[in-house]
Amino acid sequence: MIEKEVDVAVIGGGPAGLSAAISAKNNGGKKILVLDRNSWLGGILPQCIHDGFGVEETGSSMTGPEYAEMYIYTAEKKDIDFMRETMVLELKRNREIIAVNKDGLYKIKAKSIVLAMGCREKTRWNIMIPGDRPSGIFTAGVAQAFINLYNIIPGKNVVVLGSGDVGLIMARRLKFEGANVLGVVEILPYASGLPRNVVQCLDDYDIPLYLNHTVTYIEGRDRLESVTIAQVDKNFEIITDTKKRLECDTLLLSLGLVPENELSKNAKIKIDNITGGPIVDQNYETSLPGVFVCGNCLQVYDTVDVLSIGAKHAGECAVESIKTKKIKESVIKVKPGRGLHYVVPQRINESGEVKFTMRVKKPKESIIIKINAGNKEVYSKKLRYVNPANMIEIDFDISDDLIKSKEDLEVTVDG
Amino acid sequence: MKNFHVAIIGGGVVGSAIAWELSKYDIDVIVFEKGIDVCSGASKANSGVVHSGINSKPGSLKAKFCVQGNQMFQDLSDQLGFSLNWTGKYIIAKNESEIKELEKLKKIGEENKVPGLELYDGSKVKNNEPNVSCAKGLWVPTAGIILPYQFTIVLAENAAINNAKFLVETKVTHLEKKKNGFLIKTSNGSYNSKIIVNSTGLNCKDIVKMLEKPDFNVYPCRGEYLVLDKNYSSLIKSMVYPVPVKELGVLGVHITPTIEGNILLGPSAEFIDDPDDKRTTKDMMNNLLKEAKELIPALPDKAVINAYSGIRCKLASSDEGGWADYSIWESKENPGFINLVGIESPGLTAAPAIAKEIGNMISNRIKLKQKKDFKTRKIKKRFSEMSSEQQSNLIKKDEKWGRIVCRCEHVTEAEVVDALDNPLGACSLSSVKYRCRAGMGRCQGGFCTQHIVRIMEDKFDEDIKKIRLSSPKSNLFYCRNREETI
Amino acid sequence: MDKKQITCIVCPIGCKIIVKTDGEKINLIDGNKCKRGLDYVRSEALDPRRVLTTSVLVKNGEWPLVSVKTTKPVPKKKIFVVLEEIKDIKVSAPVKIGQRIIKNVAETNIDVVSTKSVKRK
Repeated sequence: MIEKEVDVAVIGGGPAGLSAAISAKNNGGKKILVLDRNSWLGGILPQCIHDGFGVEETGSSMTGPEYAEMYIYTAEKKDIDFMRETMVLELKRNREIIAVNKDGLYKIKAKSIVLAMGCREKTRWNIMIPGDRPSGIFTAGVAQAFINLYNIIPGKNVVVLGSGDVGLIMARRLKFEGANVLGVVEILPYASGLPRNVVQCLDDYDIPLYLNHTVTYIEGRDRLESVTIAQVDKNFEIITDTKKRLECDTLLLSLGLVPENELSKNAKIKIDNITGGPIVDQNYETSLPGVFVCGNCLQVYDTVDVLSIGAKHAGECAVESIKTKKIKESVIKVKPGRGLHYVVPQRINESGEVKFTMRVKKPKESIIIKINAGNKEVYSKKLRYVNPANMIEIDFDISDDLIKSKEDLEVTVDG
Repeated sequence: MKNFHVAIIGGGVVGSAIAWELSKYDIDVIVFEKGIDVCSGASKANSGVVHSGINSKPGSLKAKFCVQGNQMFQDLSDQLGFSLNWTGKYIIAKNESEIKELEKLKKIGEENKVPGLELYDGSKVKNNEPNVSCAKGLWVPTAGIILPYQFTIVLAENAAINNAKFLVETKVTHLEKKKNGFLIKTSNGSYNSKIIVNSTGLNCKDIVKMLEKPDFNVYPCRGEYLVLDKNYSSLIKSMVYPVPVKELGVLGVHITPTIEGNILLGPSAEFIDDPDDKRTTKDMMNNLLKEAKELIPALPDKAVINAYSGIRCKLASSDEGGWADYSIWESKENPGFINLVGIESPGLTAAPAIAKEIGNMISNRIKLKQKKDFKTRKIKKRFSEMSSEQQSNLIKKDEKWGRIVCRCEHVTEAEVVDALDNPLGACSLSSVKYRCRAGMGRCQGGFCTQHIVRIMEDKFDEDIKKIRLSSPKSNLFYCRNREETI
Repeated sequence: MDKKQITCIVCPIGCKIIVKTDGEKINLIDGNKCKRGLDYVRSEALDPRRVLTTSVLVKNGEWPLVSVKTTKPVPKKKIFVVLEEIKDIKVSAPVKIGQRIIKNVAETNIDVVSTKSVKRK
């Protein structure tokens, strides 16, 4: 095995990994190494050729590749090392990384590690759509890679299941390339993507949006021939006489993202079952000391801008942890309460400013987000409108008293 | 070459086992397979179980070939290198009447000469399988598991390297009796053969019809399966089956661990009209989960990563009780025309024993002389199973071993190239999947598909319009966008 | 007088706003929950425009395509004319990010530039 020693190893060279690496360098880290499984850097960004990236961060709306280039350029200038087309096979509990590429097997000893492996897409079987098993069924991201990177058109008559941003963007993309997009099917009563994308991907092109609908059957012995869609009631049960057969040869699945944590699980890092990512403290450190996590690997973000902020923080903390070998004990738990799906970070072990990120369970207007420490309310904020598809950020100051009290925090949605 | 001694129609596990058996002799063998690869039908869509013989009617061919085949498997695995795990099986009884059934089963097993059968108390079963609760359990130690597609492929590829000719994507359209054998017309040319072996599974009646009037009927019976995530592999070590069920509407769901660490739930059993109707249905999927949870309450709800179905070739209808023995015979009307009909479970287990039987039948017609240079190509070790030293050495020799193409299963580019370069000439995403496992993980091809396609394009000049998923007409793509005109 | 319903895209609420216009002036805006969307709605009602992002074929490049965008939003009614013009273009590698691919596409006075670099094969 080829041995390497670094200060900070970042697993994943997408926007999260790149942000974390640059931040680690900016905060005094010397030897920073980024490993990525693809021959390119930027993760998923090179195939996201639409714009809308970096608006909050830079003031201008960039395309995915442009945003990636901005970070790659900076990282290269800062003398950060890269290992491309390199797959991390194992993360050991002593912070050794076993990785492989065309030059051989590597054992990388890192003083601290940032996990930034991103996420994968949900598949047909995660929602168990019955029917035949033909070709022509793609997750939206895979179809996007084929069209935008490899210049391959998957099909001509397309149905998209799922109205998240990826699904909406792909509906438009296929329309641009001459496909017939029959519609976007969404089980909820509202689109889960941004209104901007509903307008600019569907309305602009008269692509129907079937809300309160789902795909109930897939037909096609060899290649896809049709999907059957039907309306669902408020319990998501199918209303039988609303079934409608759509003849198509391509079904794009935009069912949601799952944080990619196989390496974390195999290293016995504790995972939050709701976020799908590791349980972290305010420094984004996992249950394995010296191992930090950021990006979609920690929780699925809505915009790359907010993701980058978190990644910068993780990179900074990863370097800090090398300098100061503080042994922290988990003092306070942070739990999602009434109306809240999840809260990150889930643990607090020192005082200071924390940025909580969270998602509500249902869309609501005129609500108050409250943080309670035991019986005491320590924070409240009025919000005009919330919905599960929009991550909420709350900046909160953890006082010394709060740490001393050892009271767990509960975040709730009221009103 | 157009003239053969034996033409095998159907490249499932039985056809491939026969091809391998015959490839040991100095005769010319050809196999016609209409699918995109061998193992395209029921052979890949089953539980992968090497049955003990306990479920088979004493005195039947099913029982005979199952027990014989079972005894051959360890040697076959040693010789060919396919994975085999003698997990054993618990057949469990929840109450008194079921316990009586267990006792009956034990007697049947003993009559079939199934060794090692033991009736255990519920507490002893729970000791070995903490997630299984029952009143009593019948322990069947000679039940094992394999990967049915790996087994079929290694048989076929070994036959091929010993000069058996395989024509995939080739459908037999016409058979004619000639003076010294048969004329076989296919979608890929015409051939002559002294002997025909009909091992076409569900299509067996269509083939028989080409030469004579069949005196049997085929009743397709679909079995659906669910595949659970490897995360739950520790739930059971051995197979867990309920007592065979008499109640209508109850599946009697089997829970089978797989070689790779997934758990299979199924199969269901539903008589259908269309032998090509391999759909999976919402009802069955829900029933499978429901019944499986009754057997193993610790089974999680959202653990399904895949679902599939296989169609059994039954010779008895539902009204007739759904049970019939294997029917294997040489036609009197057309000597040399050998038919294997109704080879449903325990067909996988029986295949090697049936192959020997067919070899015997053929030896009555043709002199079978053993080849002196019979080659064996064992299944190669996977990169993910090798030691670091072995991995490093391979990468030094060929950098393709250093590029991981399938993230979930750690499959390398070298293994994908090797899978595409197989001696059967099968080239599809499923051919890759079944040979090296790329695409079988929990992301179901999310990462590897684009890389496999890239490899197919670069190394095999595959026109992207020709890239198929798992059947001859299952094209993946429509076209290359905005083609460059030269 | 034209009456349109426009979905505001400034924030996730996506208010459906009614706009009455004679084509040159806005006469009425109703349905907004705040002021932020007003500018957007005004321009969307009188002169709707969109930034177009798509791809262009590359000859002899590491990748067969380079992603491109219009440097400014183009008039909505010209979207498909612009796309058609872009579809016919083939550029030769190497392509530099920001490189102008088409000047004044479809007479919009707006350029199309690459958003990625593509090296020669």
